[in-house]
Order: sequence, then C-alpha cells, then structure tokens
Amino acid sequence: MIRIKKENISGFIEGLMSDYVLFAPVKDGETVSFRKIESADSIAEDYMNTDKSPKDIFFPPAEVLFSFDSGEITKNECSEKPFAVWGLRGCDVKSLTLLNMVFGTARQNPEDEMFQDPYWKEKYDNALIIQTACNDPRSTCFCNWFGGSPHDGEKADILVIYIGDAYLLDPKSDKGRKYLETVKNTEPAAKKDIKEAERLRAEADSSLSAVFELDGIVGRMSGLFNSGVWEEIGAKCVNCGACAFICPTCHCFDVQDEGKGKKGKRIRIWDTCMFPVFTAEASGHNPRELSKDRLRQRFMHKYSYFMENYGEHLCTGCGRCVVVCPVNLDIREVAKKVMSYQS
Amino acid sequence: MSNSYIPVPMKVKRIVIEDPEKALRTYDLIFQNEEDRKNFKYMPGQFCEWSLLGLGESPFGIASSPTEKDFLRFTVNRTGSVTNEIHYLREGDMVGLRGPLGNWYPVEKFKGGNVVIIGGGFAFTTLRSLIVYLLEHREDYKDITVIYGARNPDLFIYRDEISEWEKRDDIDVQLTIDNPVEGWTGRTGFVPTVTKEIGPDPDNTWVVVCGPPIMIKFTLPVLVDLKFPDERVYTSLERRMKCGIGKCGRCNIGSKYICVDGPVFSLAELKEIPESV
Repeated sequence: MIRIKKENISGFIEGLMSDYVLFAPVKDGETVSFRKIESADSIAEDYMNTDKSPKDIFFPPAEVLFSFDSGEITKNECSEKPFAVWGLRGCDVKSLTLLNMVFGTARQNPEDEMFQDPYWKEKYDNALIIQTACNDPRSTCFCNWFGGSPHDGEKADILVIYIGDAYLLDPKSDKGRKYLETVKNTEPAAKKDIKEAERLRAEADSSLSAVFELDGIVGRMSGLFNSGVWEEIGAKCVNCGACAFICPTCHCFDVQDEGKGKKGKRIRIWDTCMFPVFTAEASGHNPRELSKDRLRQRFMHKYSYFMENYGEHLCTGCGRCVVVCPVNLDIREVAKKVMSYQS
Repeated sequence: MSNSYIPVPMKVKRIVIEDPEKALRTYDLIFQNEEDRKNFKYMPGQFCEWSLLGLGESPFGIASSPTEKDFLRFTVNRTGSVTNEIHYLREGDMVGLRGPLGNWYPVEKFKGGNVVIIGGGFAFTTLRSLIVYLLEHREDYKDITVIYGARNPDLFIYRDEISEWEKRDDIDVQLTIDNPVEGWTGRTGFVPTVTKEIGPDPDNTWVVVCGPPIMIKFTLPVLVDLKFPDERVYTSLERRMKCGIGKCGRCNIGSKYICVDGPVFSLAELKEIPESV
C-alpha cells in the first residue's frame, strides 16, 4: 500500500490523464456523474454514489454500431488509449463485473467470439478500474446484502482510501500493481495510516443497516409468478423507467437506424422492460401487456433469472433506484415483501 | 475480433408471391462473398436477422435446408415497417443478413425414430427446412408425417413443393383448412382437432409443432393426451428481438433468451419457463 499526500494527488491524476482516457466524477449543478476529465481539479470530492451510474462509460446511452453509405458499412474506430476510471464506488465496480458477464462472454460458450460484444470489450477489457472506499455510506446503500462492504476493493485494480490528509492506494490486481510501480512521489503507507484506514472501515461497516437474507429468493419469486404480489407491489408504479436508466446493471437496449436515404447510422440505445413497447410485436400482440407483468420482469431479472444464469444477483445495492423513484417504490421493500408474502 | 452486429451483403435472387393478397412472399438470397457463404453453417430451425440499412432489422426463420447449397430461403409476411420495405424489394436488390442465430430442431436425436411435423399458416418456414432435410437423409428416419393447416387453401405456402411431397410414398402429408370450401379434397378442421383425429402413435416418435401461438397452445395438450412424453415434443418460440446474440434482453423469458437458448424448446423445457406459451 502506498501513500500520496492530499496536495500531491493532482499529480497522480495528471499521470493517469496522460496514460489513459480518464473518467471521474464531476459536479454539474446539483448532480454528480462520471465525465471524461481534462483537468485534475474538475473532479468532484464531496460525493458518495454518483447520481448517474458509471455504466455509460463502457455502455453509452446511444452508441453507434456502424455507419452506412450506399450499402458500405464502416465501424467507428475506438480510442487508442485505454480507459481509466477514478472514483468508482465498490457497488459500481461490481456492477461492471456483472455487465461483463453479459457483454464480455456468453454463458453457453464463453470462448465463442460470436457472442462477445466488441463495443463493450474494446473499452472494458483494458480499462484501469480505480475504486474509492466509502467512508460514509448513504442511508440507501445496501451493498452488504450482496456480499459487499464499503471498503471492499477486491474487484478493482486499485483501491483508494481517503484518510483526511492523504490517500492510501492499495493495488488489488496485477494491472493495478504494475501501474502503481510507475507512479512517482509516493511513500509507503505508515502503520498509523493503515490503522486509520482500519478505523474508517469499521466505522463505515457499522453504519450500514442489517443484511436482509436473500437466500431462497429465486424459488420464492418463481413460486409467486402468478400470485397477486406483483399487482400489490406495482400498484403505484408509473412505468417511467427511471430505475432502469439510473441502474448500474440494467443493460437492455434497442437498436435503431438513423439517417436519410442511403446514408446513416445504426445505433444502440438504452431501453427498458418497463416500457410496453419493449415487447410489443408488429402484429399488435404484446406478451407483456400489463404494468405488473413488466415490473415483475424487472425484479425477477434482478433477483431470480440472473442468479439462475450467472450465480449472482443483478443488483449491487447502490440504492440509486430508491433515490430516484418518483413514487417511492423501494427495491429493498420489494425483496422483503416477496420473501414474506402469503398467497 | 468478429462483430456479430454487422450484417453481410446478400442479393435477392428470386421472389415468389405465396398468396392472392400478396402479403406473403418467399425470397431466395445468395451470398456475395465466398467467405461469408463458407462461414454460414446452419441447421433446420435456426433464424437470421434481415437488415435493411436505414430502417432496421427483423428476425425470420430460415426456410431452406442446409442440404440446399445455393441459396437461403425466407418467407416474409408484410406486417410492420421493415417487412413492408422487404415487400418492395425486387430481384437483384441487396439486403443485409446476420446469422445463423439460435438453436435448431434436434435432428440427431430424431434418428431411428418416427417424426411428426405439425404446422399452421405461414409459420411453416423452418418446418419446410426440416422436411427437406429429413427427406435428404431419408434412411435415418422411420415414418414422416406432416400435418399442415391453413385458414383456406390459398394460404398454404410452398404449394408446388407440397404437391410433390403428396406424390411420394415415403412421407404422409395431411393438409387441413378451417372451413369446407368447394373443390377441397383434404381435411377440414383446426390443427389440434385434426391432430387428435389422425392420432399419431407416440411410440418412438418425435413431434415438432410450429404455428401461431393459439395453435401451439391447443395442440400441445392434444399431444399430451396422446401420451407423447414432454421430452419428445418440440416447438419454436417467437418474441420481439434485436441483437440475436443474447445481450439486448428483449426476448428474455424466465432465465432463457429465445435468441440463444431457443427458439427451439422441448415441451419439458417450456414447462420450466414462465410466460412461454
């Protein structure tokens, strides 16, 4: 573990900017979200979870798959420099590993390139993921439900712990270790630094509310598929889709063509199963016609289907959907209701 | 690396209008690049995404059989914006194609058994692929029975070919229309009822059912009554699709993605998938 004095951190950031295309949290009015960084002092400091999730760095809301002109197809070249992200929280680092299960491989045949998403891989595979430990989790944080904790950086390349007068940088992967070896103006973390980090960790851990046990939720949800629980949960849902767009793991998309005549672009655009048109067929038939069917699809994808396919829940407890939902539909309450529902 | 989102160019070689209302057209496509042709290895039951640059994509089942080397065949019903544009295509025009996608009818498992093929309306496309494939490997299979229903005699697709099959003694073709029509010598009645009348013997027999959702819904219980085990009844599902490679989430039902885990599922598998039929 190395130590960088607070006043020297901009040097580290500048180093990242020269080696990588760097993304970091930026304050824009009231909101904080990840942006490409051109100068070290534009990085937001006092934020917990960014308002928007970082998924758009690797999976943009609208991404050109290719351009076409008179039948000729051209794929855009991706950035030559690899990406680095500074300031990710543990929940968001985990969300990227979950998205990588979908886009990076195929569960049927992981080696088959046909099922690998080149647009995701060209950005994510070489990225340097730098996580910031959470010293002060929000009341809506529940990463501990999914095995996470505020200072757990095991899925990142480098874990950064802010201890007030300095940053401690803890390499978590070979990639992270190699990068830190190239960094100048560092010193080894002192014993008292490590002790302070441990204190912050314990404090953050204890500030989270108790873990709600999700064991058995896959079977519970399947058993309740045709029950009234979804109507009860969904009665107030307005199908706005805000939860899905703000979610770091929701990844459904639409593909649309834009252009005029023989010239244009094929673009993929974030979409959500919360919208009726998502499954509406040209014939007029819609297999998921009712609001409760769509809400059930979203929650079951998160806590049942993804677990069946990948052995993980498609939720990291970031709490963003709890914050943005206009009708206060709290995903934690949904899980609790499903686990206790008597049909 | 390879990029499954990019279509390959295909030329429309031949167009056949299948019905009097001209809503159903069959297209034979040919590859423009030898390498694309070589890489395209498929089996009956798989599908492709047709790509019309500027308009979008639509998935269609492959109606030709891999034993037919020179072309890929599709039948397209005019319904939405992409299929409408497809109907404006003329012979010689170019389209994009992605595939082959999805799984296929398990013809290897069928070997040494009887095969009953039950179809309805214009969903007969991948069933044609299957029938042509089975006839090409005729010695590998025992009795082959085809039960095919349409609203009226004009709405059967591939009529010339079906007439040829009717003349053969190594395939039993049973056609049915919904209501009697003057001059019709085949059966009348809905596919589930006719299936019950014919009553295929479940012993060492595999069934493939493909048609409109309502036909599938009412035919599956008939097969269960006839004592066909769930593991030997197969059907093909359809949902809206976009990527075709298990990413975009649109065709997700239960823990399955129809584009990669299907479209072909056994009845045993269907029973584990919510919202499937």
